[in-house]
Amino acid sequence: MKSALTDACTIRLNNFEGPFDLLFYLIEKNKIDIYDIPISEITDQYMEYLAAMQELDLDIASEFLVMAATLLHIKSSMLLPRHDNETEEGPDPREELVHRLVAYKKYKDYAAILKEREVAWSRVHYKLPEAIPVIEEETELDVSPLVLRQCMVEVLNRYRERMNDDSRKMQRILDREKVSLRSKIREILGILSKGMRFCFTKVFSPLKRSRIEIATGFLAMLEIVKMGRAGVEQPVPFGDIYVMPRKPDGKQDGSGTERDVMRIEHPGRERNDN
Amino acid sequence: MNTQAESETIIEAVLFAAGDPVPLEKLAEIIEKDKKTTAEILAAMQYKFQYSGRGIMLREINGAWQLCTKPELDMYIARLGTVRKKQGLTQAAYETLAIIAYNQPVTRAYIEQIRGVNSDGVITKLLERNLIREAGRDDAPGRPKLYETTEEFLRVFGFSSLKDLPPLGMNEIPEEVENLPVD
Repeated sequence: MKSALTDACTIRLNNFEGPFDLLFYLIEKNKIDIYDIPISEITDQYMEYLAAMQELDLDIASEFLVMAATLLHIKSSMLLPRHDNETEEGPDPREELVHRLVAYKKYKDYAAILKEREVAWSRVHYKLPEAIPVIEEETELDVSPLVLRQCMVEVLNRYRERMNDDSRKMQRILDREKVSLRSKIREILGILSKGMRFCFTKVFSPLKRSRIEIATGFLAMLEIVKMGRAGVEQPVPFGDIYVMPRKPDGKQDGSGTERDVMRIEHPGRERNDN
Repeated sequence: MNTQAESETIIEAVLFAAGDPVPLEKLAEIIEKDKKTTAEILAAMQYKFQYSGRGIMLREINGAWQLCTKPELDMYIARLGTVRKKQGLTQAAYETLAIIAYNQPVTRAYIEQIRGVNSDGVITKLLERNLIREAGRDDAPGRPKLYETTEEFLRVFGFSSLKDLPPLGMNEIPEEVENLPVD
């Protein structure tokens, strides 16, 4: 038996697509009913194949080893004696393997059909497509010289604006340095100290303030809310934000303010202040 | 309005020039008829091509139509000396294609579970040959890619559409390939 197997190995070894393919070969060779596989026998033969592969110094894909382990596992669980008190029969340990083998077999058979069809239909020939150019219709432009002139004026204006913008940019760089979170917190606390609620989006309106100022102002507002000195309200999403003063509970007014601000701005300097 | 004969003449010329399959909608637009009428004209043409001693025939692939030579004339075409046979696929490729064809769209994990082997390389090959393509991602963890067959798959294996796939079952594998070429 060993020699016969080794013979088969030398011919077919490389052709197995995977462990299922090898198992099927063994099942067909031994004319075994797939639904009643003599696990012990098949496992032995399977292991012999793996051994032969090793002898031939072929790399054995890990999947083959996994299958070997599965087979041995099934074999061992079939050898184990059943307990007497287990009246009902447990599931056949081979069941899952058979299920997978049948599923695989289905597609293996269908693969053969596909192959036949491919051969049959390879006798049919097609023509390459012609390069038919897509004709683009030309539409005449109806433009008066006046419109062209207007366009030119607009372009020039835009160009001039951009050139002038440089000086303004400089201004803005200077602005940016002035905006600090601390100053904004002071500003907002100042407004709040009048005891009235105010509309954040009006005070920090994009018309009056630079972008960096609005952003810092917003951060300052959040800080103040965190400190518990104000409440905010935004009735509509993306709508106006209203800020209203709130006395912190149990905290003295005034003395807390400055220190809180200091802590936010310069955590290290707090000690010097005290 | 074109007569039926004129429409057939136009379609024949258009399909010859096109080479690639032309969708039914496009043909209907060209001959200025509705889709139902166009489909009837095409069916009549297919029949005529088949049975009136012509060297070419009409194929439907996924709702598009294409002219090709009749398979029995292959040997004569081969005498041109320019026919290149495409390299066949491996056993693994056929297996993988079969699994994808019947279960599409499928993940690589599904294919590997049935085949019991890593299928990375095969899938890459099939993608290269344009027999399969990616079809979005599964909702499962890791959002794995899904694969499905292409029109090229239908063309190569002689199917008009996926509905043509032979029924799949352990005991009902058709014994012979369907008769070529009119299904």
